[in-house]
This record gives sequence, structure tokens and C-alpha cells, in this order.
Amino acid sequence: MRERTFAPSRVLIYLIVLLVAAAWLAPLVVVVLNSLRTNEEIAQGSMIGWPQHLAWSNYAAAWSGFCVAETCAGIRPYMLNSALVTIPATIFSTLLGAVAGYAVSLWRFRGDTWIYGIVTLGLFLPQQMRLLPWTIVLRDIGLINTLAGLVLIHTIQGLSFTTLFCRNYYVAIPHDLIRAARIDGAGFFRIFWRIVLPLSPPILIVTVIWQFTHIWNEFLYGVTFTSGQQQPVTAALIALSAAVADIPQHGVQSAAVIIAALPTLLIYVLGGRYFVRGLTAGAVK
Amino acid sequence: MPITTTRRRLLAGSVATLALPAFARAQGAVKPRLTVISQWSAGSDGAAITALGKKFEEKGGVWQHSPVPGFTTEMMNKLRAQIMAGDPPACSQLKGPEIAAWSKIAPTVDLDALVAAAGYEKVVAPDLAKLHKPGGKWIALPLQIYSTNMLFLSKRAMDKAKADKIPVTWADFNDLAEKMKAGGVAFPIANGGTRPDDGQKFEAALAGISPLAYRAAMMNLEKKALEGPEIKAAFAQVRKIADWMDPNVGAQHFSTNLKRFIDGDMGMMIMGGWAQGVLRNAGFKFEDFIIAPGPSDNSKPVFLLNADAFIFWQRKEADLQAGQTLMAQLVMDPAIQTMYSQITGSIPVRTDVDLSGEGWSEGQRTTAKALKDAIASNQAVLSMAHNMAQENGMTAAMIDVITEYVKNKTIKPEQAAARLAEAVESSR
Amino acid sequence: MKAGRPAFPEWVRRLPEYLMIWVPLLLSAAHLVSFSLWTIWISFTPSTLVPVTGWVGLRNYSAVGASRNWQIALDNLLLFGISFVVLSAATGLVLAILLDQRIRGENVLRSVFLYPLAVSFVVTGTVWSWLLNPGLGIQKLVHDLGWTSFKFDWLIDRDMAIWTIVVAAIWQSSGFAMALFLAGLRSVDADIIKAAQIDGAGPIRMYRRIILPSLWPITITVVVIQLQFAISTFDLVRALTNGGPGIATQLPALVVYDLMFQRSLLGRGAAAAVLMLLILLAVLLPYAAWRYVRRRRSSHA
Repeated sequence: MRERTFAPSRVLIYLIVLLVAAAWLAPLVVVVLNSLRTNEEIAQGSMIGWPQHLAWSNYAAAWSGFCVAETCAGIRPYMLNSALVTIPATIFSTLLGAVAGYAVSLWRFRGDTWIYGIVTLGLFLPQQMRLLPWTIVLRDIGLINTLAGLVLIHTIQGLSFTTLFCRNYYVAIPHDLIRAARIDGAGFFRIFWRIVLPLSPPILIVTVIWQFTHIWNEFLYGVTFTSGQQQPVTAALIALSAAVADIPQHGVQSAAVIIAALPTLLIYVLGGRYFVRGLTAGAVK
Repeated sequence: MPITTTRRRLLAGSVATLALPAFARAQGAVKPRLTVISQWSAGSDGAAITALGKKFEEKGGVWQHSPVPGFTTEMMNKLRAQIMAGDPPACSQLKGPEIAAWSKIAPTVDLDALVAAAGYEKVVAPDLAKLHKPGGKWIALPLQIYSTNMLFLSKRAMDKAKADKIPVTWADFNDLAEKMKAGGVAFPIANGGTRPDDGQKFEAALAGISPLAYRAAMMNLEKKALEGPEIKAAFAQVRKIADWMDPNVGAQHFSTNLKRFIDGDMGMMIMGGWAQGVLRNAGFKFEDFIIAPGPSDNSKPVFLLNADAFIFWQRKEADLQAGQTLMAQLVMDPAIQTMYSQITGSIPVRTDVDLSGEGWSEGQRTTAKALKDAIASNQAVLSMAHNMAQENGMTAAMIDVITEYVKNKTIKPEQAAARLAEAVESSR
Repeated sequence: MKAGRPAFPEWVRRLPEYLMIWVPLLLSAAHLVSFSLWTIWISFTPSTLVPVTGWVGLRNYSAVGASRNWQIALDNLLLFGISFVVLSAATGLVLAILLDQRIRGENVLRSVFLYPLAVSFVVTGTVWSWLLNPGLGIQKLVHDLGWTSFKFDWLIDRDMAIWTIVVAAIWQSSGFAMALFLAGLRSVDADIIKAAQIDGAGPIRMYRRIILPSLWPITITVVVIQLQFAISTFDLVRALTNGGPGIATQLPALVVYDLMFQRSLLGRGAAAAVLMLLILLAVLLPYAAWRYVRRRRSSHA
């Protein structure tokens, strides 16, 4: 409904929305509160509670203090590793997906429907199933234990999503526009650069948000295909939570969870408006 | 102890040098280097392996440890990837029958000469030694031992029950639990509810009821033993334990209950020796609890062995080979085992280490004595719940049945026993 | 590419564009096809710790099919899949309709409903396992506040535990459904709405007659994406219930990982993965057919 209606129903709408929003925020609030409580305080009370004193030291420990075996540098170096994988993989998969989506939607070539169909099926192939084949591939091309190997995996796997969304978005671009440009002698890249790319920001924002969060939060490949000093931030988070022979470090763990989630949270908060706008324009055809 | 230790180590070192010209040459020529994969990343495990790495570096080595945080499964994924890539670590954490299984997929180092030089075989429990020499040759070295069935008693709960006798048999144990309940202890059992935790309850029950039946059923998978009355009795005992637990624990780690345990709201815990390290790290005092061997109906201690170990993978590089020699010597060294166990709360693999000195707790001494007694009466058996008795697939199939039984009170002991036998059959 | 240059053969001139199109697409398609074929092959071998050659026929499949874990996982998938897809789509739709009422602070509210998407499944699972554990979370909080007969113990209840996964999954992903629905609502033709208003249609009738029917294609997209989420749910369950209490919340993806890597039964795990793929195909084929028919129809029109 676009029109302003009378007051009581609007009060009800606000009430419902605010209630749901409160429920949605509750887990975040709990983690934030726990990040300010000491480990002992949490161990002796409940997981939900008000901090007795603000234990900012949790953040110091999470950022640069806690140890993963010999390395006592907190979450910081792992954040850098994750960035080194996430940023290039996001850029590559987005750009290549945009070109591929453009090719299958506006340029059309022999076999495009088939290959597009297969590529999008990749959205549905379970992660766990791909672990061993990737091991073999990375071994054969000599990229095991390198960040480049991880970038390659995420780029290729990411293509399924980026191609799908870009294609759906570009389908809506009037074909006459392309046809006219071709008659003027513009080639594949020129049309992409001059016509398609300038129209793309909304959908590129969707794919960047999607790819960035997925790669940033990935764990299985991140620990299997890296060694020690190159591990992603998710590995450090697990190290904090999975100490079988130790008391749970819930305070520091909560602080680390928040720090590790900042980049992706920021991207959603800043990009949320464009996310919906991009989906409006593209994903639902 | 320091004097004898040093002398023995010097002796071991010189014998190794004589016995192993190739290794010795390598060691003399290059700086020893070691690549290691383990899951030990946090808490006392992380601290202990860090200390071991420091010792390795003190001896002039280069220590390259790659911890894989998370479950053992992720560590194994990493190891598998390295092996498939033809680049195994020089040394990695692995334990129990998995040592034999994994040794079939990549060549391992023959450690016989080093073990002989250190005189290690004589001081390792026989059942344990067997696991580390699957083809008749030593390829892996155990580093530390835990018993998975130590009995932890809360002193405050004992006071509430007006009891001062440590239970020896399961009947004593059940009596004490009833007394605690009557004395106002809300939950006489303080265990957690993870999969291995549920498995431990069962193995402690079965081994305590009959170590012979345990050996036949859990270690040798004899069909007759699996269908025997002891299994049903063990399930019945597990039901009692489960009924005395706080149902709210769900699948939480045992450490969530430690405060209530120390406060006397919970009474007893059947847990591995590592719980002692956890209690210490959580800031609780040793005076507030007692550690004793788990209940045993024949009154002689039963010891459920859980041992962490390192397996050594064949490498061509001279520096890695030198590193392997150095690592093997360190792992077998009583001083190193002492250092390691004092950090983690375990006991040394070597049965000849003297625990009377400073740095050891009463619980560790009790555990070491229990191991000695159990070996003497042939009651030191391998833990099923912690993957020492069977390969992971078989263990997981058994724990499926056990954990379902613990969480579902409508399953009868007879049904559970039948399901267990069935699960074993279909996993052979 | 300017005219007047010495002419290259057509294919040389267009080589960069062929490379840009085909290399990524072929790499992606090749990895999907070869990985699937590889998994199918492994499912017929006696592989355990590492892949080996050999042939065991359908033995891995019958072993998976006979296991209690797999049977429970399938039952759960049916229950979880249907309830999660329906409830998350419904939640998303309601939130989208509410947000579409020109309310103040829409930006903030939208961020609130979207932020769980930014959080990793492991973190979601862990945090919800705190909240839902009766001894640690909400139930304890309410008890401590004085209402001691309050009971909220789904997490430890065999029959209800699967619903905790539904709750956490809805929390995590209905923001995505909301975004898609919101996108759909925003693209409903304003003139049609105007016309209906002139005809005197009330808000409820307007939604029932005009707006909701136009959301039908989006609903299908939402359902497919959420179904894919349901089938591949893994990290979330592992962190939240790890398949428990007992084995009550097993799901196919969990069983695949467990068999392949924890139990070192690669062949059986591969068989379970292939069965999972078949389930996926059973869901996707009707969707693909529906899209095909729809496209045909629209191109004929």
C-alpha cells in the first residue's frame, strides 16, 4: 500500500514491525552484551545477562591477544588473510560473471542456454561434495596451500551466482539498444563497456554483497587448503569456540565474533538499500 | 629425577647416534626442521604444543606447526589433502587405530631404532604400544595418556550426602548418588551431553562391570560378547546415570556444569583426566573436588586408555628427516613428557616417570597409580568413545546407538543392546 | 578495431572476446560436471580414507539407505524443508508488505532484517544454541526473572529440536525473502494500483486481487532459493544441534560430511551425496520445466 491510511492501522503496523525487529536484534544484543562480560562472569551466570563491569579487555584480547597455538596475535592477522582471499575473489567472480551474463543474455551464441543451465546448477551442488575434487585439482595445478588456490575456488564457484543474477538483470536491457550499437560497428567489449556496464551498478552491488559475505564466512576450504599462518578468520573463531580441554571463552569469543562480522555487517548496512534496488531490477525475472 | 632423566636422555641420544648413521649424518649436516599438523590450537592443548615447539627450537630446530582448529575431522581433512598432494607433514597428530588405517595410504617412518635406543617399549602399556606399531614396526609415538573414566567427586556434594567414602563399585556409586539426591544435591551427575561424553558414560559402565566383556565386545568386536548380558547391564547403568543428570544440559560441553559441580548442586562426574586441567584453568581449587578411578565391580581399577600420539610421515628432505629424529627423541623424553602432562593435566606415557615431585597434582598421581594397577591386573583397556578401540567409522556407529539411548528414555536396555550389535554388524 | 587497419582474420580479432566468454563459463561448467561425475564414480568404489579404484556395485547405496541416520535425515529434510520454506517465505512476505507501507525508518528496519545474512552460519548456530539451551538461555533468563514454570526446551526435546533449526534458519534467511518480495512490490505498476483505487478497492482487496498475484513469479524464486538453502543446510545444524539430541536432527548434508570425512567411508558418503543430488534434481526439474513453459508462452505472446 502506497497511500497513507488512517492512524490506528498505522500504529498496529509500527507495533508489529518493531516487535519483529526487536526479536531479530535479540541475538546481536546478547552477543554484544557477552562481549562486555568476562569469561568467568558468563560461566557463573547465564548466557544472557547485563555486564557487571564493561570488560573492554575482551576486545583487546580478541583483536590482538588470544593465542591459536604458538601465534598469539588475536584475530588481526586472520582478518587480513580473509581479506586477501575475499576481495580478489569477489572482484574476479563479479566481473567474469558480468561478462558471462552479458554474453548469454544480449550477445547470444551457440550453446549458450546449455552452458548457462549447467553453470547455474552450481548453486545447488553441496560444498562438502566438492572438497576432495578440489583437493585433486589444486594438487595438479600446484596451488595447494596458497591463497591463490582459494581465490581460484571462490571465483569459479562464485560464477554460478554472479552469472545467474547478471544474466537476469541484463535480459531487461532493450535488445534494440544493442542492435543499434552493433550496426554502428561496436564490438563485444565496446558495447559492454559503453552500454552495459554503466547500467550495471545495482546488480553488481547485489553480487558483490553476496560474494563478499559468502567467501568471508567460509570455513571448510579455508582450513583445508591453507597452512598455519594463512588461515582465514573463521578458523580463528573456531579455535576460540572448540577448545575441548578448556573453559569456554565466551566473552572473548563474542568480541571476536563481532570484530570478524564487522566487514560483512557494514557491507549489508551500507548496501542494504541498493541490495533491494538491485534485486528489484534484476533477480526476479 | 632430574639427574636420572638427563643421564638417560644423554645415553639415549648417543645410542641413537651410533645406531643411526644416516639420521646422524643428516642431523649433523643440516638444521633440523619439522612440519607438524595438529588440532591443538587453544587452551592447555595449545599451550602444551607451543611449549613442545619451544623445546624443539631450543635444540636448534625449526618448528613449523600448522594448527587446524575445530573438530578432529577438519584436522584429518587437512592431513588428507596434504597426503593426496604428495606433501605430507613430517609429523602429525593421529591416534588409536587410525594410525594403522592412515599408514596404509602413505609411507611412514620406521622408528624402531630410535625407540630401541630410548628403551621406550618397556615403559609403554602393551595394548597402547600395539597401536603404534601396526605392521610390527613403530611408526608413531604416544605422547600423553588420559583415562576417560576418572571419577570426580564434589566435596560439597559429599558433605550434603554426609558421605566420606569414595565409591569403588557401581553399587557404591549408585548408593552415593541416591544419598546425594536425598541430601539435597539437585543433580548427582554433572556430565555434559556431547557425543563422546555419552560414549564415555557407556564405556565407563561396561568396563567397570566387566573389563573382560569390554575387551571382547568393544576392542575385539566379538559377536557373542556384544550380545552378552554385560552389555545390557551397562546400558541399564547408563540409564541410571542419565536420570541423575540435569536434562537441560542438552548437547553442551561438560564444562558448563563445573560451577554447579564445585558448588555441590551437582555431585559426580565421570570424565577424562583433562577435566582437571579445565577445572584448574577455570579458577577452581583442587581442595574442592576428589579424583578417583572410575567404578569397578571387581574393585581393581579399570583404566580406559586414551593416548594422544604423533605419526611420522616419510620425507626425502634431509632437514625434515633430522627434524623427525629430534622430534621422536623429544616425544619419548621423560622430561618432555613431564612438561607436557603438567600443562595439560594428563599423565606421561612412560610408566617410569616419578610423579611424587612438585608440579603434579593428587589427581595425576591417582591416575598414574590406577594405570599401573590396571596394567598389572590386565584391566587397562582402550577407550571406545575417544576412538582408541576402533576406527572412526565403527566408533561413530556405536555412539549413534549410545547417544540416542541416553537422550531417549523410552528405549529399553535390551533394545539398545540389540541395536548396538546390529550397528557393529553393519559397519564391519 | 578501427577501420582502415590491416585486417586480421575475423577469429583472431574476436579472440579476446571468445576467451572472456568461454574460459570462465567452461571452467565453471567443467568443474561442476567433472566433480559430479567423479562423485558418482566414487559412490561405486570401495573408497574409505582416500579415493581408490574398484567396483562394489550398489553396496554403498544400500548401506546408506539402510542406515538409521539417513532415514532420520530424510524425514527431517521433508519436515524442515517444507516448514522452513513456507514459514520463511511467509515471514519475508509479511515483512516486505509492512515495510512497503511508507513507514519511517525503513532504511534502519530493512538493515535489521537483512543483517543476519551477513553473519556466518557457524556463528548463527552457536549463538542460537546459547539462546535456546534451557539451562543457559531464554528459559533460564525467564526462570531467573521469577516465572519458574516457564518451559522452552525444544533444543533438548527429540521431537521439537528440528524446530530450533527452523527458527534459526528463518532468522538467518527470511531477510533475503523479504528483499526479493520488497523488490517485487516496488515493481508493481503504479498505474494499475491507481486504477484500482479509483474503482474503490480497499487495501485488503487490492492485495488479494492485484498485488499478491503479481508476486507469483517472485514467490517461485524465493521458494527455489530457500529450498536449496534447506537441502544444503550444514554449518548451522552442526553448530546448533550437531544432529542431536541423539541423532534426532540429522540432515542429509550432515550425513554426507559425516560419512565422507568423519567416518572415513568415502564411497558411502559419495553415495549419500549422489542421493542428495537426485533429491535436488527432483526439486529443480519441475522448476526448470515451469520456467521453460513460461518463457515459451511469453515469447509467443
